Amino acid sequence: MERLKELEKDVYRCIHCKACRFAYSGEPDRKGIGEFTGKQGTVLYEGMVDACPAGIEHGWEAFWNAGKIWIARSILSGDLEFTDEVRDVIMPCITCGQCSAQCENKVRTVDIIEALRAACKEAGVPMIERHQLVERLTKELNNPYGGKAEERFKWAKDAGLEKFIDNKDAKVGYFVGCTASYRQIDIAIATCKIFEQLGIDFTLVGDEVCCGSPFFRVGAVDTAQELMNKNLEAFKGLELAFFSCAGCYKTFTNDYPKWMEGDGLPFKTMHAFELVSRLITAEKIKFKPSKELKGKVVTYHDPCHLGRHMALEMEQKIIEESKNLMMDSRKIRQVINDWYEIPRIVLRQLEQDVGIKFTEMYRIKLDSFCCGAGGGVRAGYSEFSLRTSSLRLDEANAIGADIITTECPFCWRNLSDANEEYKHGLTVYGLLEMIDTFKLLEVIEQPTLKEILKMKE
Amino acid sequence: MSYKLPDEKDLEAMIGIVGKDYATSNKAITASYLAKSVMGLESQIPDIVIRPKYVEEIRKILIYCSQEKIAVSPISAGLSGGFACPTIKPGGVMLDLSRMDRIIEIDEENRYAIIEPGVTNGALWAYMAKNHPDWAPPIPDGAPPAATVMGDAIDRGFSLYTSSVGPQGDNFMCGEIVFPNGDVVRTGSWALPFAKPFYKYGLGPDMWSFLMGSQGSMGVITKAAVKIYPHPKHKTVVVWGMDNPYDMQDLTLEVAKQEFGISHNTVMVQGGNYPLVMARWPKDKIPHEYEFYKELGISQWWMNWECWAQTAEELDYVTKRIDKMAEDFKKRAKSPDAIVKQVLHPKQIASRMKKPNKIAIPYSFWEAGFLFITWYTPWNECAHFAEMYTKAMEKYGFPPVIWIASIERCRQAICMPIVCFDSTKQSDFEKVQTLNQETTEYALKQGWLNYRPDPYIHIQAYYQAGMYWKYLRAFKKLVDPNFIMHPGRLALP
Repeated sequence: MERLKELEKDVYRCIHCKACRFAYSGEPDRKGIGEFTGKQGTVLYEGMVDACPAGIEHGWEAFWNAGKIWIARSILSGDLEFTDEVRDVIMPCITCGQCSAQCENKVRTVDIIEALRAACKEAGVPMIERHQLVERLTKELNNPYGGKAEERFKWAKDAGLEKFIDNKDAKVGYFVGCTASYRQIDIAIATCKIFEQLGIDFTLVGDEVCCGSPFFRVGAVDTAQELMNKNLEAFKGLELAFFSCAGCYKTFTNDYPKWMEGDGLPFKTMHAFELVSRLITAEKIKFKPSKELKGKVVTYHDPCHLGRHMALEMEQKIIEESKNLMMDSRKIRQVINDWYEIPRIVLRQLEQDVGIKFTEMYRIKLDSFCCGAGGGVRAGYSEFSLRTSSLRLDEANAIGADIITTECPFCWRNLSDANEEYKHGLTVYGLLEMIDTFKLLEVIEQPTLKEILKMKE
Repeated sequence: MSYKLPDEKDLEAMIGIVGKDYATSNKAITASYLAKSVMGLESQIPDIVIRPKYVEEIRKILIYCSQEKIAVSPISAGLSGGFACPTIKPGGVMLDLSRMDRIIEIDEENRYAIIEPGVTNGALWAYMAKNHPDWAPPIPDGAPPAATVMGDAIDRGFSLYTSSVGPQGDNFMCGEIVFPNGDVVRTGSWALPFAKPFYKYGLGPDMWSFLMGSQGSMGVITKAAVKIYPHPKHKTVVVWGMDNPYDMQDLTLEVAKQEFGISHNTVMVQGGNYPLVMARWPKDKIPHEYEFYKELGISQWWMNWECWAQTAEELDYVTKRIDKMAEDFKKRAKSPDAIVKQVLHPKQIASRMKKPNKIAIPYSFWEAGFLFITWYTPWNECAHFAEMYTKAMEKYGFPPVIWIASIERCRQAICMPIVCFDSTKQSDFEKVQTLNQETTEYALKQGWLNYRPDPYIHIQAYYQAGMYWKYLRAFKKLVDPNFIMHPGRLALP
C-alpha cells in the first residue's frame, strides 16, 4: 500500500478522459491503411485506434486503463476495499503502457497498476491460481517454467558454447533469462554466436536466476526482490550485462534501481540489438545478401518492455530533472525518437544489404500494439493473451508481411503461438535470431570493450 | 423523493433483459465509473451498471426501474471530458451506452450523419476522414477523442463549427428517445415513419430542444441525426494578441458582427489568457512570471480565429480582412500598442486545427486535478466575467486560467475558468467549492447562465427561475412519471 500511496498524486491526476484507450490519441488525421478484416474481426487502421487489450477484450470501464486508475483512487479514498472482485479486474491488464504513452497528464499508469496489485496481495487477497503456481515453481527452481537449475545452460553446452559458461576473465555478462534458457533457445544461441563473431569475451553467469519480472508485474514484490538480490550477487564485478529479452532488460534497468539498496546498478546494461545497431552506425558490421530473404516483406514488432517502458522511463527522468518542462519537452521527443530508431537502423540495413522489404505496421513505436504476453497475462489468462497476439498479427497481415520480427523471446513465443493457433501464415523471428539463422552478419572490424562501454555513456 | 436501492432481485431482472455479460453489481466495476474532475466534483458509485445494445433493452430497463422506483443515470460512452454527468446520490442503475456505437448513415446530399450514443469523436472523425473526406462532423474542440458526439450535444456544448453556425445542440436535426414511461419517440421530421431526418421542426412544436441540456434527466437518446459540414482543404489560424480582456472582447465582436462572409468562415473563435499556456505544465517546473511568456511572443490575452474556406483566394481574403479590422481597431482599443498579430509556426497552426484533440486534458499536470466551471454570457459581457473570475481565482490561490469562445458569431460567449488544484487535498476541494459558490452568486446577479449546472451549487439558478422550473418539472412528470432519470440533476428530484 505504501507504494500506491507514493503514487497518489499520479492517481489523482487522472481526469478520466479516456484518451488512453487509443493508440495515436493525439493524431486523429493520421493516414492509415484503411479497414482490414483479420482473424479477430475488422479494424479501421486510420487516425486513433482502440489499443488497450483488456478494454477491447472485456468492454467494461474497469478493464480500460482509466477505470483501473479510478479503482486505485477509490481504494486510496477508502470507497473500495480489496477483494477477489478487485483482483479479477486489475489482473487481466498486460501492463503494456499504451495508456501511459497517451496520457497528457503523464500519469504513470503501469506503476500504479503494479502497485495496486502489490497492495491487493498485501491486503490478503490471494493471487490467482496460475500466478501462485508460477511463484511456487520459481521459489523452488529459480525459474517459472519448472526447468532444472542445472539445465539452465544446457543449450549452450549442446551448441558448443560451453566455454562461455562462468568465463571468469570476462568483464561482460550475458543475462539469458528464463524464456530463452528453457524455451526459445534459438534466441540465446543466436545472441551468443553473434557475440562470438564480434569477438566479445563474455560470460554466461552460472548463478543467474529469473530476473523477477513476472513477480514485479503481478505484485509479488517479495519474491521479485529475492530474485533481484540473487542476480545482483551473481553479476557482481561485471562492467556490463547484455540481454536478449526485453522483459529482463527492462527489469534490470528500470526496476532494480527502484527496489535495490544503494545508488543504482553497479554495472551497465545493454540489449544485444542495441549493440548491433550501434555497430552498423559505426560501420563496423554490415550484412550479407540472402536468396531466401530477398523480397520478403519484413515487419517489426516493438516489444513493450523494450520500447515503450524504456522510453517512458527516459521521459520521467527528464521530467524529474527539468526546471522548465516546456523548454525540455522537445528533448523528450528527441530522446524517444532516437530510442525507437535503434532497431529500425538494423532493419533498414537489412533492407539495403539483404534485400528484404522492411514495412511498418500501422501502430508502431510509442503507439505500438502489445503482443499480449506481459503483466502475468500469458500465464494467467492464456486465451485472452493469444487473442491479443492474434490482433497484432492481423495488423501484420494487413500490410502483407511475410515475416514479423521482434526482440523479445516472450513476444516471440506469444506471437508464434497465435500465429499457429489462428493460422496467420506468418514467420516469426527474433531479429538477432534471423541474422544468425541466415548467416547474415559480416564483421568489418570487431569492437573493443572500451568502445562497447562508451556506447552506454 | 425516495428511491429503492437495487438488490439482487433487480440485478437478476436486468440480467434477464441484457444477458449476464452486460449487467453487474461487481464493486470493482461499478467503482470504475467514478469521475470527480473536469466537469464536476460530485460522483457516486452506482449500484448496478448495465451495458445495453438495443433500444428495446433500454425500454424494458426503464419500464422496470420506473415501476421499482430505481434511479437511472445514462452515460454515452464511459466517462470523458465530453461527458459531465456521472451517477450522483442516490446511486442506482447506470446505463453505459458504449456498446451502442454504430455510425448508421452518412448522407452527403442532405448533410447529416445518423449515429448512436456510444459513437466517439475519434471514431466518427476517423470514419469520415476515410470514407467522406470532404465532410466533417461537428465534433467538440477540446473534448478528448473518447468523448462522444451525442454527449456533447446533450450538453449543448461547444464544437468545431459553433462560432460560425451556433450552439452544438442546434447541430442536431432529429432524435430517437426512450422515456421511462415506455414510449419511444422520434422528433422532428423523423416522427413520420418514412421521413428522413431532414427537418428539426417538422411536426410543429419542437420536442428535441426539450432534451438539450437535460443531462440525462428526461430519457435516453438512442439515435440522433447530426449535421455534417464541408471540410475544405484551405484552413488556417489567425491570432491577435492584446493585454486585456476588453480589447479581446471588442475586436472579436467587430469581426463577428459582419455576420456574413468572413464571420461564417471563422468556424471556431476562441481565446484566453497566458495562464492557459502556463497551467498545462507542472506548477514547479514552469516559470510563473509573464516575462517568460512575453519572450516567447505570447500576449497576455489573445484571440484565435480558425478560418476555413473553399479556395485559397477566399482564405486569403478572410485572413486579410481580419488583419485589417484588427489594425483599424487599434484606434478604439483601450491599449492600442498591445494589439499585435501573433505569427504562428506552421506546426502551431496544424496543432491548433487538429480535431479531436487533447488540448483540454493537461491541466491536471499543474497539480493533481482541475475543474471547468463554465458559464454563458452575452458576448459583450465576457470581459467583465473574465475580470471577475481571474480575481476570484487568484484570491483563492489558483492560477487565473480563462478560456473564452464565441457562439454563433458572438451572440453568446462561453466562458470557462479552469480551476487547477490539488485534488488529493480536501482543503483544496473545499476552496474550489467556495470559489464556485461565491462566483455563482455574483454571476447570477449579472444574469449569466451556468453551462453545465453543478447539482448542488448551481441549483441557485433554478431558485431564480420558478416558473420555468415549474414547467420543466411538469414536462418531466409526463415522460418520467416516477422521476427516476438522473435524480438531482437540474434541481429535479
